[in-house]
Amino acid sequence: MNGIRYQLKSVWKDKFCLMTFLLPILVAVGMQCMGSIDLSSLGELHFAVLAEDLPPQTVRWLERYGPVTVYETEGAWTAAINEPSTNVIGVKGEGVGIRTAVSGDELEVFQQAAATLPALFQQRGTAEQARILTLERPDLLEHFQDIFVPGVLIVAMFMGCTFNAMNIISEKEDGVAFINEVLPMGPSQYVLQKVTVGFLFGSLSSVVTAGICFRLSWRDGGLMLVLILLASFVAALLGLFIGRASRGLMAGVVYIKLVMLLFIAVPILCALTGVDGPLAALCCLVPSQPAFEGILALSAGDRGTALHNSGILLLHGLAWFALYGAIALRRKRPG
Amino acid sequence: MWNHFGALLKKDVRMLVSGKFFLLALGFLLLYTAYVNLGYLRFMQMPPYHVYLYDPGGTQTQVSPLVQPVPSLEALDAALLEDANGVGLDASTGTVQLVLYRGAEGVDHHRADYALSLLGPDSSRLPQILGSNTPEQKARKEITCELLFFELAAVGFLGIAGVLFQEKGMGVIRVHGVLPLPKELFLLSKLAVFLLCDLGFAALLTLLNLGLLDGAAVLPAVLVQTAFLSLMMALVGLLCALLLKDFRQFTLAYLVIAIFAATPVFLSANTSVKLDWIGGHPFYHVYMGLKTAYFGGTVSPAYYLGAAGTVVLLFLMVRLAFRREMRKEG
Repeated sequence: MNGIRYQLKSVWKDKFCLMTFLLPILVAVGMQCMGSIDLSSLGELHFAVLAEDLPPQTVRWLERYGPVTVYETEGAWTAAINEPSTNVIGVKGEGVGIRTAVSGDELEVFQQAAATLPALFQQRGTAEQARILTLERPDLLEHFQDIFVPGVLIVAMFMGCTFNAMNIISEKEDGVAFINEVLPMGPSQYVLQKVTVGFLFGSLSSVVTAGICFRLSWRDGGLMLVLILLASFVAALLGLFIGRASRGLMAGVVYIKLVMLLFIAVPILCALTGVDGPLAALCCLVPSQPAFEGILALSAGDRGTALHNSGILLLHGLAWFALYGAIALRRKRPG
Repeated sequence: MWNHFGALLKKDVRMLVSGKFFLLALGFLLLYTAYVNLGYLRFMQMPPYHVYLYDPGGTQTQVSPLVQPVPSLEALDAALLEDANGVGLDASTGTVQLVLYRGAEGVDHHRADYALSLLGPDSSRLPQILGSNTPEQKARKEITCELLFFELAAVGFLGIAGVLFQEKGMGVIRVHGVLPLPKELFLLSKLAVFLLCDLGFAALLTLLNLGLLDGAAVLPAVLVQTAFLSLMMALVGLLCALLLKDFRQFTLAYLVIAIFAATPVFLSANTSVKLDWIGGHPFYHVYMGLKTAYFGGTVSPAYYLGAAGTVVLLFLMVRLAFRREMRKEG
């Protein structure tokens, strides 16, 4: 217990370390204050027309499909179509019909829309008579938006990894590691103290972040807590690995950066591309993936998947712990 | 003086080599190139909506080859469940009924009308092409620009700051205090080394991902923008290393800050989502300068003046902080 008190004292002196833990909480507060960014315009069709070129009824017809912007000059109209960040379709009148113009760099779906627009304009009377059955579905773009919140939470959970790794590396550089070796303290005690501090702060930061981002029932909240505790434990353990493997500060920073990028990139890419099958199982080898999936499932009210992912995280915890123990024992034996 | 400068430059390059700076840059160059060629280009594809037709009686005679026939209503439902952007056409009752999952209102109207138009003769007409980029060229330019910006503003910056912090810890600044050299040489040699590294990185990243022809065409403009960004980030890195006492934890926090700070900029600059407040984001203007260089637009002289002014201001701040640090070190 005394050892943990000393560890906490050393953390308290390291102000930037505390900032690392506070950062996800600040981002979560910022996201709540800013409100969600409206991403609904991503898949929409946008049209550019020239002033006094098309009759008002044609513009109204275009507005059924998406927003129409009127440009005063041909130059501004061309520039709007060529603007690389948008997929604007230019529309001009041609006799009784219309003709379209695109930049040529648009995604296929927008090029196809531009190619078929004149034909749709000619058939506009007949199309409106067909019966349409619209089925409800959760908005795909909303799902895209929801990825940000678990992303922040993942960062919060894996701060324990960063903290432990940096702490051990600084101890190595300052010579404290040598002092630790002559102190009356077993290696298991040392590991326990180190894991506990990273784990405690990682969990605390994640619990506060989750409290800000989610409104969960008691049962779901309990499951979220299980996910957070397991993920923070695995992260704290991984920090020990990095700390042990790094010879100097720069190498440690490189390892941490790579691990952090991997932890953030794998779950976000998996969520965006919707991988399944063996590739999804392979992604679960990165501990942030089951944590991310579990949080997404909980926010959608799917307790079964969250439990399943908690199980995977538990396996991660056991496996990494056993691996660390095995490496420590092997190093000890020859000495 | 040039001899001194050369010696300082040599020392800085050695520091970068021992700090594994070049190794890290090479690793990220390979990682980015693999991501562009193996991941991003495949991911950035959006085929036209698929249209599925259930027509057991064969009532539709002029069906476009783009329509995919399905054998049963269940198969139609399953196809739509799998491909929620697709449109189903059910012609089993004699009249055509459209089935689709709800999306944005305008897009739903368009999907419905487009699907119905495929039941008639093909009258689509290629649109007039006004630009010079293909979708692949655009995707390559866009992602290369994003990665270069992220590398310079976040990953590279951390390398710079890490090396400087290490030097400070080793007492290099104290040694400089007693050397008979103009004090600015220390700063200038650092800036020169990082600038050259960043220019080399930008050139390689651009040529590897845009191809030799496209890359060479935009390279001069890209290098000018890279120089501005590199100088700014190196100066901010110097300032942080000089002013902050314990820089180590900050370097890690910074990576996270950079990811969150860059996301709205990329969203506003590369998609139709335009955030009202983005003009106030300092990253936005620098990123747009770099993007304009990749896409061959013209950058306003006001931007160049602003960027040059920022570099000068940062340099003066760094010089002040450096002199203060030297006085402190005695």
